[in-house]
Amino acid sequence: MDIIKDTLTFLADNVFGQVPILIGLITLVGLLLQRKRFEDTLAGALRATIGVVILFIGIEVFTGGLSSFQTVLADAMGTTPPKADNTLTDFLGAQGGTIALVITVAFLLHVLIVRIFPAARYLYLTGHLMFWISTVVVASLVTIAPGADQLTLVLCGAGFVAAYWTLQPLWMRPLMRRVMPDDRFGFAHTSSLAALVTGYAARPFGDRERHDTEKVRLPRQLSFFKDVNVSTALIISLIMLAAVAFADDQVVAKLAAEMDPKLSPWVWALLVGLRFAGGIAILLFGVRMFLAEIVPAFKGFSDRVIPGTRPALDAPTVFPVAPTAVMIGFVSSTAVFLGCLAVFAVAGWFTLAPPMIMLFFVGGAAALFGNVVAGWRGAVIGGVITGLMLAVGQAVTWGLFERTAPELATLADPDWYAIAWLLKAVDPIIGDASVWAVPVVALAATVGTLLLLGRRERRAEGAGGAPATESAEPAKEAGGKN
Amino acid sequence: MDRTLEVLAVCGVGMGSSLMLKMTAEDALRALNVDARVENTDLSTARGMTADVIIGQGMHTDEIADAAPVVITVSDFLDKEGLQAALRERLAEKGWLA
Repeated sequence: MDIIKDTLTFLADNVFGQVPILIGLITLVGLLLQRKRFEDTLAGALRATIGVVILFIGIEVFTGGLSSFQTVLADAMGTTPPKADNTLTDFLGAQGGTIALVITVAFLLHVLIVRIFPAARYLYLTGHLMFWISTVVVASLVTIAPGADQLTLVLCGAGFVAAYWTLQPLWMRPLMRRVMPDDRFGFAHTSSLAALVTGYAARPFGDRERHDTEKVRLPRQLSFFKDVNVSTALIISLIMLAAVAFADDQVVAKLAAEMDPKLSPWVWALLVGLRFAGGIAILLFGVRMFLAEIVPAFKGFSDRVIPGTRPALDAPTVFPVAPTAVMIGFVSSTAVFLGCLAVFAVAGWFTLAPPMIMLFFVGGAAALFGNVVAGWRGAVIGGVITGLMLAVGQAVTWGLFERTAPELATLADPDWYAIAWLLKAVDPIIGDASVWAVPVVALAATVGTLLLLGRRERRAEGAGGAPATESAEPAKEAGGKN
Repeated sequence: MDRTLEVLAVCGVGMGSSLMLKMTAEDALRALNVDARVENTDLSTARGMTADVIIGQGMHTDEIADAAPVVITVSDFLDKEGLQAALRERLAEKGWLA
């Protein structure tokens, strides 16, 4: 018996607890199932493994930059920097294996749901968000049930995540159909709540026919903003320089000396901004490297099991429809976020860190959907809603992840905040057992929704001979075609 | 072409939509019987890489129009036939199509 126990302990500590190795093995299986050539299989699995290692290095650099940023900014504003009892690096070290297993189990469950219920329709394929949303869910579950073992976390997390992947493209569908009337793919992005709120809130403010953003010409000078590495480095460095001007000289000198004793505080501020951007670039490079192996493997698998399903894809796949709206959304969400940063700082509440990537993608997506219902005013409203959601979300959610991975709050999209608080809200209702209520309720809600949708579609089909894909909602206001 | 064609699919951050585009491009190139290696990346990285062909949406290809001999702009990331037609035309121009 000891041998079995020892083997399981060994596997738990050295395989399921070590993300690079676990992801490498999952990729290996995926590539083997695709019957790739031996050298491609080996190289692919290695690339995925190295990708995860790079991801961890990027997070270390990023969180280092983040803490200097918050310390100096807080000092300049006379507040205290947000505290944290744990870091993302430590959290991924401890729970990374759980997260990798959640992704895998949730994906299988999601494929099963899509296979059983035709109304589910879309297969969620936005790989980096599959990783991050699993991370957020595991962090939230650990917060509400600190004692839960890995198996519990994997099963509960996967149940909830599979429900989210199934439902999210569906609640975006009415809006998506105004952007992509042919319904060849769905929208799979954690900006969905900002986009959804914008899509409904912007309605009274205009119409697309008269106010379409694509009739507006934006100044050429804004184009460098499209490169998120550039905009992150620029904005964070500028805020750092401004903060150094107001912060206590001794605090800054001490921090600068930690990097290099001879360094001018101003140059240090610049370097912190650049390191912050560099850290995020490394992090993304790592994620890109393992996704490039895992996503095609997942897709190959699902193509075989559920042929003909529509994919639900990352936000930028719709950006070509209205690139000007995307830029309007990015600029307006950044302006609102920086406004919030100033207001919060004066109020002595919380030192925000501008998440340029999220401001770009969430702001861009919300503005794009705002544009389809209300033209450029809708796009601006989308940007404003995004700026507010990200600023308030960051400020209130940091504390929630204090003992797991607070940096998740600064990297987050609106749906992450919603999920974290939704799971938190479950906690006081049933206490420790609530960890099991999470997947049960989520999956029951999913099945209920799918049965209802399926019945409605069959009825629509029977009644007017209209194709099942035509739901009443978008057809009503199909005026705004691209 | 007597060697493997190097193709880059680009997007803003180089993870989501460019990966979808990469899979579409791989299918299109396979259908054209072109021996190619397709990678996906972000705008900054693409500037520092050498490639024969760059594929991306207009918002990004505008920025790196000179970074490769052939730059193809797409608006539909899943349109294999459209991309295949564009590749056939542009690769033939360069004499890279057997």
